[in-house]
Amino acid sequence: MQYVTRESAFHRLHPLTKLIFAVVVVALAVLTSDTAMLAVLVGAVVAAASAGGLARDLLRQVPLLLSLAASLLALTVLTIHSGETIGHLVTQSVPVIGGAFPVTAGAVGLALAMSLRFAAMLFAFQLLVISTQPRDLVHVMDRLRMPVDYTLMLLIALRFIPSLQLEGKRIHEAQLARAYNPGSGLAGKVRGLFPIIIPLVSNSLGKAMVLGLTIDLRGYRSGRRTPMCDLSLARADAAGICCMGLFTAGYLAALLV
Amino acid sequence: MTPEAGRGTALSLRRVSYTYPDSASPALAGITLDVRRGEIVFITGPTGAGKTTLCLAASGILHHEYGGTLEGTVAIHGKDARDYRDMGEIGRHVGVVFDDADAQLIFTTVEEEIASGLENLGIPREEMQQRLRRVMEATGIADLAARAPHTLSGGQKQRLAIAATLALGTEILIMDEPTAELDREATAVVSALLRRLADEGTAVLIVEQKIGELAAIADRMVVIEDGAITAVGSPAEMMEEPAPQRPPAPAIILPTDAAPIISIRGLTHRYDNVAAIRGLDLEIASGEIVVVAGENGSGKTTLIKHLNGLLRPTEGSVIVDGLDTGSVPVAELARHVGLVFQNPDTMLFAKTVADEVAFGLKNINHGDPGRAVDAALREVGLLHRRASYPRALSRGERQRLAIACVIAMRPKVIVLDEPTTGLDVRESRRIMEILARLRQDGHTIVMVTHDMRLLEEYADRTVWMEQGRIVHGSRTYEEEPCLRSCSMSPVRVPFTASTRSPN
Repeated sequence: MQYVTRESAFHRLHPLTKLIFAVVVVALAVLTSDTAMLAVLVGAVVAAASAGGLARDLLRQVPLLLSLAASLLALTVLTIHSGETIGHLVTQSVPVIGGAFPVTAGAVGLALAMSLRFAAMLFAFQLLVISTQPRDLVHVMDRLRMPVDYTLMLLIALRFIPSLQLEGKRIHEAQLARAYNPGSGLAGKVRGLFPIIIPLVSNSLGKAMVLGLTIDLRGYRSGRRTPMCDLSLARADAAGICCMGLFTAGYLAALLV
Repeated sequence: MTPEAGRGTALSLRRVSYTYPDSASPALAGITLDVRRGEIVFITGPTGAGKTTLCLAASGILHHEYGGTLEGTVAIHGKDARDYRDMGEIGRHVGVVFDDADAQLIFTTVEEEIASGLENLGIPREEMQQRLRRVMEATGIADLAARAPHTLSGGQKQRLAIAATLALGTEILIMDEPTAELDREATAVVSALLRRLADEGTAVLIVEQKIGELAAIADRMVVIEDGAITAVGSPAEMMEEPAPQRPPAPAIILPTDAAPIISIRGLTHRYDNVAAIRGLDLEIASGEIVVVAGENGSGKTTLIKHLNGLLRPTEGSVIVDGLDTGSVPVAELARHVGLVFQNPDTMLFAKTVADEVAFGLKNINHGDPGRAVDAALREVGLLHRRASYPRALSRGERQRLAIACVIAMRPKVIVLDEPTTGLDVRESRRIMEILARLRQDGHTIVMVTHDMRLLEEYADRTVWMEQGRIVHGSRTYEEEPCLRSCSMSPVRVPFTASTRSPN
């Protein structure tokens, strides 16, 4: 997940508008566990991405979200027993252990709500990241008088996502060249972790030190930043903020009713 | 140097000694060194001599960011490094280029990378834009402005890291191996740029293994060994000592009618819509040492990744030892082609050196991994380190271990991507002697390098690439004096097995 050079409606918005959008979506997502409301929220974010021509970028996260949803479902089914029982992981016809691990409506509902909440947050954050150059984001956070350490933490986190992906790819290629073939399935994935994770963590720690020093030496703590391009709110930002306001009002009204 | 530029000391180290935390011996031992305004000081020395630590000391990083035991004083513009508030304050006077270009690129486009530092200087917008344009043109990356830094080649990343630092316009520059991955042309551009900055009054401290163009522009050359200065002089005096000559290798008789072990026909490779290789033809005979050279971003690494199937051709074919690398699985190709990456740390993960070498052997179900491990470690001179932790080895030893991991699997073809980057002359020579011995044993060696000396001494044949094509080739470097000036013929010369070394 990183900035994508493109001419989309989202790219043209002021970074502050996009930051407000992400914060509002996160706030609305944590306000309720109602799956219908959360589904509406996810739908609204995807619709906004479609209008901005970035829906395809969001869809790349779907496999990750599906695997997350599956993990959450497994966790809630094993740990939560509330509401109507809608089935069993082990069918009752199996001798001795038949009927074990009941699947309840409460467990499924909670897993679904958490998955939708993650989806809304992830999509909103992704829209912000892929359409905003990090230096513009830093500039806006600076103007909002956010503590410089938090701003730099966000900058480093954004920088490390593609860097880790790239380093992981390099390491994977280096191990493949040694006939490394971890096999398929869960067992293969677990077996294959060590030759990748150990160099990845070791190399990343070394790079983090240099990255931190570079940020300091380039004066990110100077507090006298002048953006090279004009960053001012335009009509599109006003329209975007109005839309967000209307949606938020409707969403909150629906929650209260 | 202009007379007015040469006044005053910008950097001053007095009896600086430093020992890293958890280390018994000092990395620096009583270093005293001044760098005046308008002066270029070139530091060199063997791998592990303390050159990078010297850069960290001179830039005040050891004082502000590291633990360990530090003695002596470092003054920046006459003020003790300890008295600066933090690295941000030092950064207004000192620009540092670290040896890991990748780690110091933060942003999402080349332009943003350079502009971000300028924005923190609080200078007028027009001046920022002028500086941005000037520095991009001066470092030859103006055409890469919209590219994402992580998609650049190693040399392009290094040029960008230099540009981002130069744009800050600091009066002191400290550069740790700034040209390690640059081709000769880019090195010349950077050298001329640094000389010009020094002539305008900038103090420059450069650490490099390569004693070439950068040393030639220096005012003083300093050699450090075991953390101490062992020689100081003008580059002209110090470069007079002749390099030790390699004894001539026994001649290899290559059968002239043999089928090539590597055959590349009409190879094209595109990343998204960008063609990195364009219709390339190449044949390499068994037992050759072939060097792939060319400027940064010319497609060298893309080419060699096709030899073991890490990349598949967009068009054309690559046949190695009778196998089509476009369709055979990488794990199967690894029995025939070994690839040693530029940075050995991308592969080291085991608890011991022996386990590290055994990893590949187990992957190919080798019958007697123990014996093969010992043979490979003996070959690279690391048998005595078989129980050591791989990441605790020196840089040169780690590179030799990476080679051992590959040769243990006895592939017929060994491919190496910049195997001597970051190594001193002694270690580089040691690596090349290993490769020369492997060639004697019948292995074919394909190697990417920018090191002209290695190319001259060891290559049977050099393939020169430019913009994804082979633009020139020679049997040996010595036979093609035109290559000494790096001039490249625009004429595409296809290579066949019949043009191989007369050896």
